Amino acid sequence: MSTESHVTKSNTKSEHGTTGSYVIGFILSLVFTIIPYYLVVNKVIAGNALLAVILSIAILQMAIQLLFFLHLGRGPKPLYNVVFFFATAGVIVLTISASLFIMSHLYQNMSPEEITTRLAQKEGISQLGGEKTGACKELGDNHIITIKDGQVSPIHLEASLCDTLTFINEDNKKRVMKFGSHTAQVSYGGEYEVVLDDGRPETITLNQSGDFAFHDDQDINTDGHFSVAP
Amino acid sequence: MTHAETSEEMSHEEAANDRVMFGFWVYLMTDLLMFSVLFAVYAVLHGNSLGGPTGRDLFSPPLALTETLILLTSSFTCGLGMIAARKGIKKQTLFWFGITFLLGLAFLSIELYEFVEFIHEGHTMRSNAFMSSFFLLVGTHGVHITSALIWAAITLFFVAKRGLTKSMVRKLSMLSLFWHFLDIVWIFIFTVVYLMAFV
Repeated sequence: MSTESHVTKSNTKSEHGTTGSYVIGFILSLVFTIIPYYLVVNKVIAGNALLAVILSIAILQMAIQLLFFLHLGRGPKPLYNVVFFFATAGVIVLTISASLFIMSHLYQNMSPEEITTRLAQKEGISQLGGEKTGACKELGDNHIITIKDGQVSPIHLEASLCDTLTFINEDNKKRVMKFGSHTAQVSYGGEYEVVLDDGRPETITLNQSGDFAFHDDQDINTDGHFSVAP
Repeated sequence: MTHAETSEEMSHEEAANDRVMFGFWVYLMTDLLMFSVLFAVYAVLHGNSLGGPTGRDLFSPPLALTETLILLTSSFTCGLGMIAARKGIKKQTLFWFGITFLLGLAFLSIELYEFVEFIHEGHTMRSNAFMSSFFLLVGTHGVHITSALIWAAITLFFVAKRGLTKSMVRKLSMLSLFWHFLDIVWIFIFTVVYLMAFV
Protein backbone atom coordinates (compact mmCIF):
# COMPACT_ATOMS: atom_id res chain seq x y z
CA MET A 1 0.00 0.00 0.00
CA SER A 2 2.75 2.39 0.98
CA THR A 3 4.70 1.60 -2.18
CA GLU A 4 1.67 2.38 -4.26
CA SER A 5 1.16 5.91 -2.93
CA HIS A 6 4.91 6.51 -3.09
CA VAL A 7 5.20 5.49 -6.71
CA THR A 8 2.25 7.63 -7.75
CA LYS A 9 3.82 10.66 -6.11
CA SER A 10 7.21 10.40 -7.79
CA ASN A 11 5.67 9.41 -11.08
CA THR A 12 5.40 12.39 -13.40
CA LYS A 13 2.15 12.01 -15.22
CA SER A 14 3.38 12.76 -18.69
CA GLU A 15 6.47 10.55 -18.79
CA HIS A 16 4.68 7.21 -18.72
CA GLY A 17 1.54 6.20 -20.52
CA THR A 18 -1.94 6.01 -19.13
CA THR A 19 -4.37 3.26 -20.04
CA GLY A 20 -6.10 5.83 -22.26
CA SER A 21 -2.98 6.58 -24.31
CA TYR A 22 -2.33 2.87 -24.83
CA VAL A 23 -5.92 2.28 -25.96
CA ILE A 24 -5.75 5.18 -28.45
CA GLY A 25 -2.36 4.00 -29.73
CA PHE A 26 -3.63 0.44 -30.09
CA ILE A 27 -6.76 1.44 -32.01
CA LEU A 28 -4.80 3.76 -34.34
CA SER A 29 -2.22 1.01 -34.94
CA LEU A 30 -4.96 -1.47 -35.85
CA VAL A 31 -6.50 1.01 -38.27
CA PHE A 32 -3.16 1.72 -39.93
CA THR A 33 -2.49 -2.01 -40.26
CA ILE A 34 -5.84 -2.82 -41.84
CA ILE A 35 -5.81 0.09 -44.35
CA PRO A 36 -2.59 -0.88 -46.22
CA TYR A 37 -3.57 -4.55 -46.08
CA TYR A 38 -6.94 -3.74 -47.63
CA LEU A 39 -5.36 -1.53 -50.31
CA VAL A 40 -2.84 -4.22 -51.29
CA VAL A 41 -5.10 -7.28 -51.22
CA ASN A 42 -8.00 -5.63 -53.06
CA LYS A 43 -5.71 -3.78 -55.52
CA VAL A 44 -7.56 -0.49 -54.98
CA ILE A 45 -4.62 1.45 -56.39
CA ALA A 46 -1.47 0.14 -58.08
CA GLY A 47 2.15 0.79 -58.87
CA ASN A 48 4.16 3.60 -57.36
CA ALA A 49 1.11 5.31 -55.86
CA LEU A 50 0.34 2.20 -53.78
CA LEU A 51 3.98 1.92 -52.79
CA ALA A 52 4.10 5.52 -51.62
CA VAL A 53 0.85 5.13 -49.68
CA ILE A 54 1.79 1.95 -47.81
CA LEU A 55 5.28 3.26 -46.98
CA SER A 56 3.83 6.52 -45.66
CA ILE A 57 1.33 4.59 -43.54
CA ALA A 58 4.17 2.46 -42.13
CA ILE A 59 6.04 5.62 -41.12
CA LEU A 60 2.85 7.07 -39.63
CA GLN A 61 2.34 3.80 -37.76
CA MET A 62 5.89 4.09 -36.39
CA ALA A 63 5.21 7.68 -35.24
CA ILE A 64 2.02 6.54 -33.49
CA GLN A 65 3.82 3.76 -31.65
CA LEU A 66 6.72 6.04 -30.70
CA LEU A 67 4.29 8.56 -29.22
CA PHE A 68 1.66 6.33 -27.64
CA PHE A 69 3.66 3.21 -26.70
CA LEU A 70 7.20 4.49 -26.19
CA HIS A 71 6.21 8.04 -25.10
CA LEU A 72 9.17 9.49 -26.96
CA GLY A 73 9.80 13.14 -26.17
CA ARG A 74 7.42 13.29 -23.21
CA GLY A 75 8.34 13.72 -19.56
CA PRO A 76 10.83 16.12 -18.02
CA LYS A 77 14.20 15.37 -19.67
CA PRO A 78 14.25 12.73 -22.36
CA LEU A 79 15.40 15.11 -25.11
CA TYR A 80 18.62 13.20 -25.79
CA ASN A 81 16.48 10.17 -26.59
CA VAL A 82 14.72 12.16 -29.29
CA VAL A 83 17.98 13.57 -30.67
CA PHE A 84 19.50 10.12 -30.75
CA PHE A 85 16.44 8.73 -32.46
CA PHE A 86 16.48 11.33 -35.24
CA ALA A 87 20.22 10.91 -35.75
CA THR A 88 19.63 7.17 -36.16
CA ALA A 89 16.72 7.77 -38.51
CA GLY A 90 18.99 9.95 -40.66
CA VAL A 91 21.65 7.24 -40.89
CA ILE A 92 18.96 4.67 -41.76
CA VAL A 93 17.49 6.79 -44.56
CA LEU A 94 20.99 7.31 -45.98
CA THR A 95 21.93 3.63 -45.73
CA ILE A 96 18.80 2.37 -47.46
CA SER A 97 18.36 5.05 -50.12
CA ALA A 98 22.05 5.11 -51.02
CA SER A 99 22.17 1.30 -51.29
CA LEU A 100 19.17 1.29 -53.60
CA PHE A 101 20.48 4.21 -55.67
CA ILE A 102 23.95 2.75 -56.12
CA MET A 103 22.80 -0.77 -56.86
CA SER A 104 20.15 0.22 -59.41
CA HIS A 105 22.61 2.41 -61.29
CA LEU A 106 25.23 -0.30 -61.15
CA TYR A 107 22.68 -2.69 -62.60
CA GLN A 108 21.60 -0.40 -65.42
CA ASN A 109 24.86 1.26 -66.40
CA MET A 110 27.80 -0.84 -65.42
CA SER A 111 27.25 -4.12 -67.21
CA PRO A 112 30.07 -3.92 -69.81
CA GLU A 113 28.52 -6.17 -72.46
CA GLU A 114 25.36 -4.08 -72.63
CA ILE A 115 27.29 -0.83 -72.76
CA THR A 116 29.25 -2.18 -75.75
CA THR A 117 26.07 -3.23 -77.56
CA ARG A 118 24.38 0.09 -76.95
CA LEU A 119 27.36 2.18 -77.99
CA ALA A 120 27.95 0.04 -81.07
CA GLN A 121 24.33 0.57 -82.12
CA LYS A 122 24.47 4.32 -81.58
CA GLU A 123 27.73 4.71 -83.45
CA GLY A 124 26.91 2.20 -86.21
CA ILE A 125 29.88 -0.03 -85.44
CA SER A 126 29.05 -3.45 -86.81
CA GLN A 127 32.40 -5.08 -86.10
CA LEU A 128 34.71 -4.70 -83.17
CA GLY A 129 38.00 -6.61 -82.93
CA GLY A 130 36.87 -9.01 -85.65
CA GLU A 131 33.60 -9.86 -83.89
CA LYS A 132 30.11 -8.75 -84.80
CA THR A 133 28.68 -6.33 -82.30
CA GLY A 134 25.07 -6.81 -83.34
CA ALA A 135 24.77 -3.29 -84.72
CA CYS A 136 23.00 -3.05 -88.08
CA LYS A 137 24.42 -1.23 -91.07
CA GLU A 138 21.36 -1.39 -93.27
CA LEU A 139 17.85 -1.41 -91.87
CA GLY A 140 15.06 -3.71 -93.04
CA ASP A 141 11.28 -3.43 -92.74
CA ASN A 142 9.53 -1.27 -90.21
CA HIS A 143 7.03 -2.92 -87.83
CA ILE A 144 4.51 -1.13 -85.69
CA ILE A 145 3.18 -1.97 -82.23
CA THR A 146 0.31 0.19 -81.03
CA ILE A 147 -0.75 0.58 -77.42
CA LYS A 148 -4.29 1.77 -76.94
CA ASP A 149 -6.38 1.62 -73.75
CA GLY A 150 -3.60 -0.44 -72.20
CA GLN A 151 -3.93 -3.10 -74.94
CA VAL A 152 -0.95 -4.02 -77.10
CA SER A 153 -1.60 -4.84 -80.76
CA PRO A 154 -0.33 -6.98 -82.28
CA ILE A 155 0.32 -8.91 -79.11
CA HIS A 156 2.92 -10.99 -80.92
CA LEU A 157 5.16 -9.72 -83.71
CA GLU A 158 7.49 -11.60 -86.09
CA ALA A 159 10.47 -9.71 -87.50
CA SER A 160 13.97 -10.30 -88.81
CA LEU A 161 17.29 -8.99 -87.61
CA CYS A 162 17.95 -5.35 -88.51
CA ASP A 163 14.28 -4.53 -89.00
CA THR A 164 12.99 -1.58 -87.04
CA LEU A 165 10.18 -1.59 -84.51
CA THR A 166 8.07 1.47 -83.76
CA PHE A 167 6.03 1.77 -80.57
CA ILE A 168 3.03 4.07 -80.80
CA ASN A 169 1.34 5.12 -77.57
CA GLU A 170 -2.22 6.27 -78.19
CA ASP A 171 -3.14 6.57 -74.55
CA ASN A 172 -3.20 9.91 -72.86
CA LYS A 173 -0.35 9.14 -70.49
CA LYS A 174 3.37 8.57 -70.48
CA ARG A 175 4.38 4.92 -70.61
CA VAL A 176 7.72 3.31 -69.85
CA MET A 177 7.92 -0.03 -71.65
CA LYS A 178 10.46 -2.37 -70.10
CA PHE A 179 11.91 -5.48 -71.69
CA GLY A 180 11.31 -8.86 -70.10
CA SER A 181 8.36 -9.99 -68.01
CA HIS A 182 6.86 -8.16 -65.03
CA THR A 183 8.89 -10.26 -62.64
CA ALA A 184 12.16 -10.62 -64.56
CA GLN A 185 13.46 -7.66 -66.51
CA VAL A 186 16.06 -8.12 -69.20
CA SER A 187 17.85 -5.85 -71.61
CA TYR A 188 17.31 -5.70 -75.35
CA GLY A 189 20.19 -4.39 -77.43
CA GLY A 190 21.71 -2.89 -74.29
CA GLU A 191 18.55 -0.97 -73.38
CA TYR A 192 16.21 -1.75 -70.52
CA GLU A 193 13.29 0.49 -71.43
CA VAL A 194 11.61 2.54 -74.13
CA VAL A 195 10.04 5.78 -72.92
CA LEU A 196 6.81 6.69 -74.72
CA ASP A 197 5.37 10.14 -74.19
CA ASP A 198 1.68 10.24 -75.07
CA GLY A 199 1.03 10.29 -78.80
CA ARG A 200 4.69 10.11 -79.76
CA PRO A 201 6.20 7.11 -81.56
CA GLU A 202 9.54 5.67 -80.57
CA THR A 203 11.59 3.46 -82.88
CA ILE A 204 14.17 0.87 -81.94
CA THR A 205 16.43 -1.23 -84.14
CA LEU A 206 16.02 -4.98 -83.75
CA ASN A 207 19.68 -5.84 -83.37
CA GLN A 208 19.37 -8.93 -81.21
CA SER A 209 17.70 -12.15 -82.31
CA GLY A 210 15.48 -14.38 -80.21
CA ASP A 211 12.15 -14.17 -78.38
CA PHE A 212 11.56 -11.15 -76.18
CA ALA A 213 8.75 -9.89 -74.01
CA PHE A 214 8.03 -6.32 -73.03
CA HIS A 215 5.65 -4.73 -70.53
CA ASP A 216 4.60 -1.50 -68.88
CA ASP A 217 5.68 -1.89 -65.27
CA GLN A 218 2.98 0.51 -64.06
CA ASP A 219 0.28 -1.48 -65.76
CA ILE A 220 0.03 -5.20 -65.11
CA ASN A 221 -2.19 -5.85 -68.15
CA THR A 222 -0.05 -4.09 -70.72
CA ASP A 223 2.42 -6.53 -72.22
CA GLY A 224 3.36 -8.21 -75.47
CA HIS A 225 6.21 -10.07 -77.14
CA PHE A 226 8.17 -10.20 -80.37
CA SER A 227 10.45 -12.68 -82.12
CA VAL A 228 13.44 -11.64 -84.15
CA ALA A 229 14.65 -14.19 -86.70
CA PRO A 230 18.43 -14.20 -87.25
CA MET B 1 17.28 16.08 8.03
CA THR B 2 16.16 12.55 7.37
CA HIS B 3 13.66 13.88 4.88
CA ALA B 4 16.33 15.79 2.92
CA GLU B 5 18.56 12.75 2.94
CA THR B 6 15.92 10.49 1.48
CA SER B 7 14.99 12.92 -1.27
CA GLU B 8 18.67 13.24 -2.19
CA GLU B 9 19.01 9.48 -2.32
CA MET B 10 15.92 9.37 -4.44
CA SER B 11 17.25 11.79 -6.99
CA HIS B 12 20.51 9.85 -7.11
CA GLU B 13 18.57 6.73 -7.76
CA GLU B 14 16.42 8.41 -10.36
CA ALA B 15 19.48 9.76 -12.12
CA ALA B 16 21.00 6.27 -12.16
CA ASN B 17 17.71 4.97 -13.49
CA ASP B 18 17.71 7.59 -16.23
CA ARG B 19 21.24 6.65 -17.24
CA VAL B 20 20.35 2.98 -17.47
CA MET B 21 17.28 3.72 -19.58
CA PHE B 22 19.24 6.02 -21.88
CA GLY B 23 21.95 3.38 -22.27
CA PHE B 24 19.30 0.88 -23.21
CA TRP B 25 17.81 3.35 -25.69
CA VAL B 26 21.25 3.74 -27.31
CA TYR B 27 21.45 -0.04 -27.64
CA LEU B 28 18.02 -0.09 -29.29
CA MET B 29 19.10 2.55 -31.80
CA THR B 30 22.24 0.62 -32.76
CA ASP B 31 20.09 -2.48 -33.12
CA LEU B 32 17.86 -0.45 -35.42
CA LEU B 33 20.93 0.40 -37.52
CA MET B 34 21.66 -3.30 -37.91
CA PHE B 35 18.08 -3.90 -39.04
CA SER B 36 18.34 -1.01 -41.51
CA VAL B 37 21.32 -2.69 -43.18
CA LEU B 38 19.34 -5.93 -43.45
CA PHE B 39 16.42 -3.96 -44.93
CA ALA B 40 18.79 -2.37 -47.45
CA VAL B 41 20.09 -5.82 -48.42
CA TYR B 42 16.55 -7.09 -48.85
CA ALA B 43 15.51 -4.03 -50.86
CA VAL B 44 18.43 -4.56 -53.24
CA LEU B 45 18.19 -8.34 -53.60
CA HIS B 46 14.46 -9.14 -53.34
CA GLY B 47 14.06 -9.36 -57.13
CA ASN B 48 16.94 -11.79 -57.64
CA SER B 49 15.18 -15.11 -57.31
CA LEU B 50 17.22 -16.82 -60.03
CA GLY B 51 14.08 -17.90 -61.87
CA GLY B 52 12.63 -19.37 -58.68
CA PRO B 53 9.44 -18.20 -57.00
CA THR B 54 9.29 -14.58 -55.86
CA GLY B 55 7.62 -13.09 -52.79
CA ARG B 56 4.37 -12.84 -54.71
CA ASP B 57 4.32 -16.62 -55.21
CA LEU B 58 5.41 -17.55 -51.68
CA PHE B 59 3.92 -15.18 -49.14
CA SER B 60 0.46 -15.49 -47.68
CA PRO B 61 -1.02 -12.05 -46.82
CA PRO B 62 -3.57 -13.35 -44.27
CA LEU B 63 -0.79 -15.14 -42.37
CA ALA B 64 1.33 -11.98 -42.28
CA LEU B 65 -1.69 -9.95 -41.15
CA THR B 66 -2.35 -12.43 -38.35
CA GLU B 67 1.25 -12.15 -37.18
CA THR B 68 1.02 -8.35 -37.24
CA LEU B 69 -2.23 -8.26 -35.27
CA ILE B 70 -0.85 -10.68 -32.67
CA LEU B 71 2.30 -8.62 -32.20
CA LEU B 72 0.33 -5.35 -32.03
CA THR B 73 -1.97 -6.78 -29.37
CA SER B 74 1.01 -8.07 -27.40
CA SER B 75 2.57 -4.59 -27.53
CA PHE B 76 -0.67 -3.21 -26.10
CA THR B 77 -0.91 -5.78 -23.27
CA CYS B 78 2.76 -5.13 -22.51
CA GLY B 79 1.89 -1.43 -22.04
CA LEU B 80 -0.98 -2.34 -19.70
CA GLY B 81 1.39 -4.59 -17.75
CA MET B 82 3.80 -1.68 -17.40
CA ILE B 83 1.07 0.57 -16.01
CA ALA B 84 0.20 -2.10 -13.43
CA ALA B 85 3.90 -2.51 -12.55
CA ARG B 86 4.31 1.24 -11.95
CA LYS B 87 1.24 1.18 -9.71
CA GLY B 88 2.83 -1.74 -7.86
CA ILE B 89 0.02 -4.22 -8.49
CA LYS B 90 1.84 -7.53 -8.81
CA LYS B 91 -1.08 -9.71 -9.84
CA GLN B 92 -2.12 -7.50 -12.75
CA THR B 93 1.50 -7.08 -13.83
CA LEU B 94 1.99 -10.83 -14.01
CA PHE B 95 -1.33 -11.24 -15.80
CA TRP B 96 -0.68 -8.70 -18.57
CA PHE B 97 2.95 -9.66 -19.08
CA GLY B 98 1.84 -13.30 -19.08
CA ILE B 99 -0.59 -12.53 -21.93
CA THR B 100 2.19 -10.66 -23.73
CA PHE B 101 4.44 -13.70 -23.36
CA LEU B 102 1.80 -16.07 -24.76
CA LEU B 103 1.05 -13.79 -27.71
CA GLY B 104 4.79 -13.55 -28.41
CA LEU B 105 4.97 -17.33 -28.35
CA ALA B 106 2.04 -17.51 -30.80
CA PHE B 107 3.76 -15.03 -33.13
CA LEU B 108 6.99 -17.01 -33.02
CA SER B 109 5.14 -20.26 -33.79
CA ILE B 110 3.51 -18.78 -36.89
CA GLU B 111 6.85 -17.44 -38.07
CA LEU B 112 8.54 -20.81 -37.55
CA TYR B 113 5.63 -22.54 -39.31
CA GLU B 114 6.14 -20.25 -42.32
CA PHE B 115 9.89 -20.93 -42.36
CA VAL B 116 9.39 -24.70 -42.11
CA GLU B 117 6.84 -24.58 -44.95
CA PHE B 118 9.31 -22.75 -47.19
CA ILE B 119 12.12 -25.14 -46.37
CA HIS B 120 9.88 -28.17 -47.00
CA GLU B 121 9.00 -26.76 -50.41
CA GLY B 122 12.72 -26.49 -51.10
CA HIS B 123 13.09 -22.71 -50.71
CA THR B 124 15.98 -22.43 -48.30
CA MET B 125 18.47 -19.73 -47.48
CA ARG B 126 20.76 -21.20 -50.13
CA SER B 127 18.20 -21.12 -52.97
CA ASN B 128 18.83 -17.59 -54.21
CA ALA B 129 19.68 -14.05 -53.12
CA PHE B 130 16.02 -13.23 -52.49
CA MET B 131 15.58 -16.16 -50.08
CA SER B 132 18.90 -15.43 -48.34
CA SER B 133 17.98 -11.82 -47.66
CA PHE B 134 14.44 -12.81 -46.63
CA PHE B 135 15.56 -15.42 -44.09
CA LEU B 136 18.28 -13.10 -42.81
CA LEU B 137 15.95 -10.14 -42.22
CA VAL B 138 12.90 -11.97 -40.86
CA GLY B 139 15.05 -14.53 -39.03
CA THR B 140 17.01 -11.81 -37.22
CA HIS B 141 13.73 -10.35 -36.01
CA GLY B 142 12.66 -13.84 -34.91
CA VAL B 143 15.89 -14.28 -32.95
CA HIS B 144 15.19 -10.98 -31.18
CA ILE B 145 11.66 -12.14 -30.34
CA THR B 146 13.05 -15.42 -29.00
CA SER B 147 15.57 -13.67 -26.74
CA ALA B 148 12.89 -11.23 -25.55
CA LEU B 149 10.69 -14.21 -24.60
CA ILE B 150 13.51 -15.86 -22.64
CA TRP B 151 14.24 -12.53 -20.95
CA ALA B 152 10.54 -12.08 -20.11
CA ALA B 153 10.24 -15.58 -18.67
CA ILE B 154 13.20 -15.00 -16.34
CA THR B 155 12.03 -11.52 -15.29
CA LEU B 156 8.47 -12.68 -14.62
CA PHE B 157 9.80 -15.58 -12.55
CA PHE B 158 11.69 -13.15 -10.33
CA VAL B 159 8.76 -10.72 -10.14
CA ALA B 160 6.59 -13.57 -8.92
CA LYS B 161 9.22 -14.62 -6.41
CA ARG B 162 10.50 -11.28 -5.08
CA GLY B 163 7.69 -8.88 -5.85
CA LEU B 164 7.78 -5.54 -7.66
CA THR B 165 10.97 -4.00 -6.28
CA LYS B 166 12.33 -0.84 -7.91
CA SER B 167 14.98 -2.74 -9.83
CA MET B 168 12.34 -5.18 -11.04
CA VAL B 169 10.16 -2.34 -12.32
CA ARG B 170 13.21 -0.97 -14.13
CA LYS B 171 13.90 -4.35 -15.71
CA LEU B 172 10.28 -4.59 -16.77
CA SER B 173 10.36 -1.14 -18.34
CA MET B 174 13.46 -2.08 -20.36
CA LEU B 175 11.74 -5.27 -21.42
CA SER B 176 8.63 -3.36 -22.52
CA LEU B 177 10.78 -0.83 -24.40
CA PHE B 178 12.44 -3.74 -26.23
CA TRP B 179 9.08 -5.33 -26.99
CA HIS B 180 7.58 -2.11 -28.41
CA PHE B 181 10.76 -1.68 -30.45
CA LEU B 182 10.41 -5.16 -31.97
CA ASP B 183 6.81 -4.32 -32.82
CA ILE B 184 7.94 -1.22 -34.74
CA VAL B 185 10.57 -3.22 -36.65
CA TRP B 186 7.89 -5.79 -37.52
CA ILE B 187 5.61 -3.06 -38.93
CA PHE B 188 8.32 -2.37 -41.50
CA ILE B 189 8.88 -6.06 -42.21
CA PHE B 190 5.12 -6.42 -42.74
CA THR B 191 5.09 -3.47 -45.14
CA VAL B 192 8.38 -3.91 -46.99
CA VAL B 193 8.55 -7.71 -47.19
CA TYR B 194 4.96 -8.96 -47.17
CA LEU B 195 2.83 -6.13 -48.56
CA MET B 196 5.30 -4.78 -51.12
CA ALA B 197 5.64 -8.24 -52.66
CA PHE B 198 2.06 -7.79 -53.93
CA VAL B 199 2.39 -4.25 -55.24
